[in-house]
Amino acid sequence: MSDDTYAIATGLRQHDPEFLDRLIEQHQHRLYRYLLFLTGNPALAEDFFQETWIRVLERGGQYNGKSKFESWLFAIARNLVIDASRRKKLSSLEELGDPETQAPYDPPDERSASVLQLLVNRESAQVVQLSLLKIPAYYREVLLLRFSEDLGLEEIAALTAIPVSTVKSRLYRGLAALKNAMTEGAA
Amino acid sequence: MNENPHVRAQRLMAESAVEVLGKVEEAWLREHLADCVDCAREAATARELLHALRNAPVSVPRDLAARTQLRVRLRAQEVSEAANGSLWLWVVTAASWFLGVFSAPLVWKVFSWLGSSVGVPKLVLEIGFVLWWTVPALVAVGVVLQQRALNAGTKGI
Repeated sequence: MSDDTYAIATGLRQHDPEFLDRLIEQHQHRLYRYLLFLTGNPALAEDFFQETWIRVLERGGQYNGKSKFESWLFAIARNLVIDASRRKKLSSLEELGDPETQAPYDPPDERSASVLQLLVNRESAQVVQLSLLKIPAYYREVLLLRFSEDLGLEEIAALTAIPVSTVKSRLYRGLAALKNAMTEGAA
Repeated sequence: MNENPHVRAQRLMAESAVEVLGKVEEAWLREHLADCVDCAREAATARELLHALRNAPVSVPRDLAARTQLRVRLRAQEVSEAANGSLWLWVVTAASWFLGVFSAPLVWKVFSWLGSSVGVPKLVLEIGFVLWWTVPALVAVGVVLQQRALNAGTKGI
């Protein structure tokens, strides 16, 4: 257990509002970005953001400091999103990505055109952001956790409750899907 | 059957984005990219894609943190008050049980006297005595249920 996570675990057990204020300030960007990309909806992301911190307050005693605080925080946020999606009669997070059509996601053609020209001509980060919202949530989530949050494969597997092999395959397919979405956006 | 070098390079580029390549494969890929313009261009594209993914700009709504902090503080206050309420409830309940246990002989004498004065059957007296003892527990259960109803109402707002 590192000093940082130990300090966070101790602070959370004390239900100290000032300590929570600091945590909210520190982690607001990462949590909001995660929720925004997970839900694809700014208003929902805001709601879940607030609910997540309420849960952190109520269940702070359950954080033991053995894992990264971010992983624990994201797991709470993820569970809230899944619970909400179930209340709306969606059986899993997967369906968040494509609520209108229940057909399984068709993986993109690996031979899709290069996005180099697209990246040269546009603000690449903005293009990526828009394209991310076009791919299913279960790809979006692992891409964000791996490349934006720099979480390891095992950490992502623990957070999303799926095997490491599935994390890898989602990453491969997610990158291909993102590339395809960017190409389509450029067309 | 030997894998097409360009296909192999594509596969290794994808793998390198997700996990660490072995030394042999990494060296082979480096050599291939040095010789193959198309694959090198593809690798540059992949690097840019990952860079853009790492730096995807997301701006948090201006007052979201402040609104959240306010909500968390209000909830913390509720949790604290509920905890204090529960503590007092436990103290009062425990005290009433102790009083009940130690005053039982006296209460039984009072019930006996009332029974003999009014002429109530012994069975009715015993039932009355047991009911008298359950009063603190019933009151405690009532208070707990009321607190839960209030908490549920507050959360629902």
